[in-house]
Formats: sequence, C-alpha cells, structure tokens
Amino acid sequence: MTAAPDLAKQAPRLELVSGGVERRGRWLLRNVDLVIEPAMLTSVVGPNGAGKSTLLKLLSGTWRLTEGRALLGGFDLAGLPRRQAARRVAYVPQSVRPSFEFTVREFVTLGRYPHENRLFGTRSADRDWIDRCLDDTDVLGLSERRVTTLSGGELQRVLMARCLATEAEVLLLDEPTSNLDLAHGLDLLGLARGLVDVGRSVVLVLHDLNAAARFADRVAVLDGGALVAEGPPAEVLEPDLVRRVFQVEAVPLSGAASTVFDFEPLA
Amino acid sequence: MRIVPGVRRVGFWWYMAAGAVLLVTFAAVGLYRGSVALDPADVLAVLARRLLPGEYGPVDPQVETIVWSLRAPRVVVAAMVGGCLALAGAQMQGLFRNPLASPGIVGTSTGAAVGAVFALTFGLAGAFLLAAPLFAVGGALLSLLVVTRIATRDGYTPVTTLLLAGVALNALLGAVNSWLIARSWEQYEAARQIAFWMMGGVADRSWEHVAMLLPGLVVGCVVAAWFARDLDLLLEGEEVAASLGVDIERAKRAVLWSAALLTGSAVAVSGVVGFVGLVVPHLVRLLLGPVHRRLLPAAFLTGAWFVVGADLLARTLAAPKEVHLGVVTAFVGAPFFLYLLVRHESEVAVSR
Repeated sequence: MTAAPDLAKQAPRLELVSGGVERRGRWLLRNVDLVIEPAMLTSVVGPNGAGKSTLLKLLSGTWRLTEGRALLGGFDLAGLPRRQAARRVAYVPQSVRPSFEFTVREFVTLGRYPHENRLFGTRSADRDWIDRCLDDTDVLGLSERRVTTLSGGELQRVLMARCLATEAEVLLLDEPTSNLDLAHGLDLLGLARGLVDVGRSVVLVLHDLNAAARFADRVAVLDGGALVAEGPPAEVLEPDLVRRVFQVEAVPLSGAASTVFDFEPLA
Repeated sequence: MRIVPGVRRVGFWWYMAAGAVLLVTFAAVGLYRGSVALDPADVLAVLARRLLPGEYGPVDPQVETIVWSLRAPRVVVAAMVGGCLALAGAQMQGLFRNPLASPGIVGTSTGAAVGAVFALTFGLAGAFLLAAPLFAVGGALLSLLVVTRIATRDGYTPVTTLLLAGVALNALLGAVNSWLIARSWEQYEAARQIAFWMMGGVADRSWEHVAMLLPGLVVGCVVAAWFARDLDLLLEGEEVAASLGVDIERAKRAVLWSAALLTGSAVAVSGVVGFVGLVVPHLVRLLLGPVHRRLLPAAFLTGAWFVVGADLLARTLAAPKEVHLGVVTAFVGAPFFLYLLVRHESEVAVSR
C-alpha cells in the first residue's frame, strides 16, 4: 500500500484560531490555537472526553464554531460552499455501522460527491479512480459485498477508501486503526505516511502513544477541552506530561531507535 | 445453498422494462374492461383517433366517450397518483433513514385531507371545481410549513424533531378531520364526498384532474431528481453527508418540499390512497439497492403500475359495484409487505 505520484497534492494550511464550541451549555473545546502544517502527519492524542473527535469536526467544517474561526489556506472554512470544502478536506468519523445495503463500490463512490455531476453521477475516469482507492486500501476484492456484512476492520478500510476517493488534500481520521489487526493497522499508518510524503496533510486521532511517537511529525495533546501541548513527538511526549494528562507512569524503554514507553499505573 | 445478504439485486434496466410492460398492460386492460363491454378494436380506434396524426374512420361516439372521457383519464390519474406517492415515500424513507417512513409522515397527507374536507363541508367545493384540490395542496404545504417552523432552531432542523412534530401534527389534524366530518353528517352530499376522500379512489376522474395533478408532479419530480444524490449521502448521517460536501439544510428542505408537493397533489385528486408510499419504495429498495438515482425513478414507475393495477381490481372484483381503491391497495399491499419482511429477515439471518 504505497501512494503513487499522481496522488501528489500541495496541501493548504489548516488552522484553528482561538476555536471553541459549546453544546448544551458545556464547552467541548475552548481557546484552541492549532496549525495543521501542510504535508505533515499530525497525531491528536488525549484521554477519553478530551475533545479529540470534536477537534476533527471543527477542522473539517462540519460543526460550526461557537467562538473563533477555522481557516483553510487563510480563508474562513465556514464561508466556503460545502462542496468546495469537501474537495479539500476529508473527514472520517469513528466507524459507525451502516444500516443501508450499499455495495462497497457504491459506498466508496459516495466520496465522489463533491466532484460529480448532480444528475448523471460518475464518469469512467471516476470509476478508474475508485478502483485505485479500493486497491490502495486492500478492499478491491470486497467491492461487490454489502457494507452491512463487513467486519469492523474491513469497514474501517472501506471508510479510508471513501476518504481517498474525495481527492482531498487534508485528511482527518478519527481513530482509523481502532478496529484493525496489527498488519492492517501498520498498513494504514504506512498509507498515511505515504500520502504525507507526496504533499498531503493527515491528522489522526490515535490512542497508541507509541504509534503516535513513531509515525507522526507533530503531536497535539488535548485534555479537558483544551490544547495542552503541540509539537514534535520527541519534545511533547515526555513522562511528566503523560503522567499529568493520561494519569499513567510512562517508563522509556532502552534499546529502541526512537522513544518507546512502557505504561504503568500511577503509584 | 447460496448465501446472499438480503434479496439479490436485479438489473435496473430490466426492472424498468418489466415495469413499463406491466404499466402498459394494466392501462390497456383498464381501458378495455369496465361496466360496459367493448370491442378491443374499438378501443384501439379511439386511441388512434385521439393520439396519432392523420385521419381515421368514424367511431361510435358513445364508445369514444367511454374510452376517452371516462376510462382514459381514470387510468392516467391512477398512474400519476401512484408515481407521486411512491416517489414521495422513497424520499421520506431516505431523509428519515427509516424504511418505515411514509409520504405523509410529516403531516402532509393528513393536512391535505383536512384542506379538502374543509372545502367540502363549507360548501366551497360546490362553488367551484378546483376548491377541494387547491385546499388539499394548500393543506399539505401549510402542514409542512408548521412542522418545519416548530422543528427549526438557529437554521438547523434535526430530523428526529421533525419526525416527532410530524407525529403530533398528524394526531391534531386527524382530530380536526373527525370534527369536521362529525359536523357534516346532516349534509348528505358533503358526507358522501368526504367518505370518498378518506378512502381514496380515482373513480370519475376527468382530464381536468390530470391537469390539476400535472404541475405538482412535474415540479416535484424535477426537484426530487436534482436532490437524489444528496439522499444517498444523507443515509450515512448528516455529519458524514456534510463532510462529503452536502449542504444538508438545503437538501433536507428541498426533499421535504418536493415530497409535500407530490403528496399534496396526489391526495388532492385521489384522496388518501394508503400503503403505496410505504410498500413500493421499500420493495424497490430491496430489489435494486439504496442508490436513489435508480431507486427514485424505479419507485415512481412501480407506484404507477401498482395503482393502475389496483384500480383495475377495485372496479372488477365486485363488478358492477366498485371497491374503494384505498381498500384494495391496503389489502394487496399489507400482506405483501409482511411477506417481504419475513423473507428479508430470514435471508439476512442466514447470511450472518
């Protein structure tokens, strides 16, 4: 699963300027200033309820901000027509079971929406592109299966294929590896890395701090609806911060090429 | 044993061709069968005289009246009503992501019935022919306006709120309807017309009714076609649809208004014909899958032949008396629906 040169894009800068969102009288995120630099793999980490999924929804423009702004290449994301925004920023939510019986191919073709003709739909060039996306995520063999019959891991890869189908330059993926076995999980992170190498930006919500440290160029740490740290993983993920944010003791293991932690409960 | 999730799909063009054949067959039998026995050659002669250019030999004027002025508009209205209801039902099932939604789920068909009953009980329908249909369409659109107003907060209309508001309005309008009917019992003619409306039917429809239905049908179909793809994405939830580029509030509004127009127009000329808008789209989705670019036209065609066929049964089952169309559609539709449910569930169970 490597990204071919024709996937190459020049990703725009995506940033949140003192972003905040309130739902039902509660601030899910507040005062977040974060820049997603072009062609970087950014990992968002944090304990449950820190606001990681909310952050992706704000960056994708699917949720309106209560405070602040989201800027795509300097332009306010809320001011862009949805169709245009969708060509540039793709968002994959945490996997939800689909309840309608699309085939895998039909499901992935939904990702062509921002490019297709409203009445006549996809052309043959679109169909070739869908084949590429199915192949890159290793689900071409499933293309005539109903999405309602897929396993969690298969569905995750199909969602990734749909995300690629949009041709977006910025990909926002919410826990894309949570349902995958080790091999497919590493494949997906490798695919993400490959996309970044050809100029796209990828933002991943990850629970595995070691994977975040190993694959990401930048790490953003959220806690209680606030951004508490952001920067290269080697600088950000140090035992003090991990103890404070995740309530666990991080013990660096010796002998690894990069820092690898072993986690233990707090004493 | 072949294990297939759900019912295996059939090809779209095969399905449409079969539907066209059924529609033409039912329509032809509909023109030829009835209380007066006719010679098929005479029926063809009338159609040729009316529809084809050129001169044709003389036809018995009585036969011509029966075929062209009595039976033909009835068949055409039946096809249009069936198409409208099935299309609107398919749209509502997509919008609410629920295969049990019906065209009137947001109160539009009850609203249309109240409009028509209002015009009938207050004698407006006697004053001019268009009063009842116009009040019906008005009632449908007004109901939707009320429901969307109630359900909208800060420019956002959640479908669950819409659904609940629709349920409440349906109950309220049903009560209004009962009250209007109760106070009309002394007026025999109004009571008879209301009963006709509530049971639904296409008896005694004329070309004027076709003309009344046509604008709503055309506008409704065009808007439905333009927003067909948006429904595919809305099936995946509003957040996903928005992230893939759907302007969700605009799409929801367009789908709701076009469905209301289709439903209101259908109810305006035929009363409340039940079950078509529920069963037909569900059946078509099982056979063709959920992609609306195929589902919507197929539902329209299926609704058309289904109602033309049901009307044929309605007037031949107990000839020379007529059974009400709404009774036939429910009698055919409900058992068939139950059969599909049972069969579908068992096949899904096998696949897991």
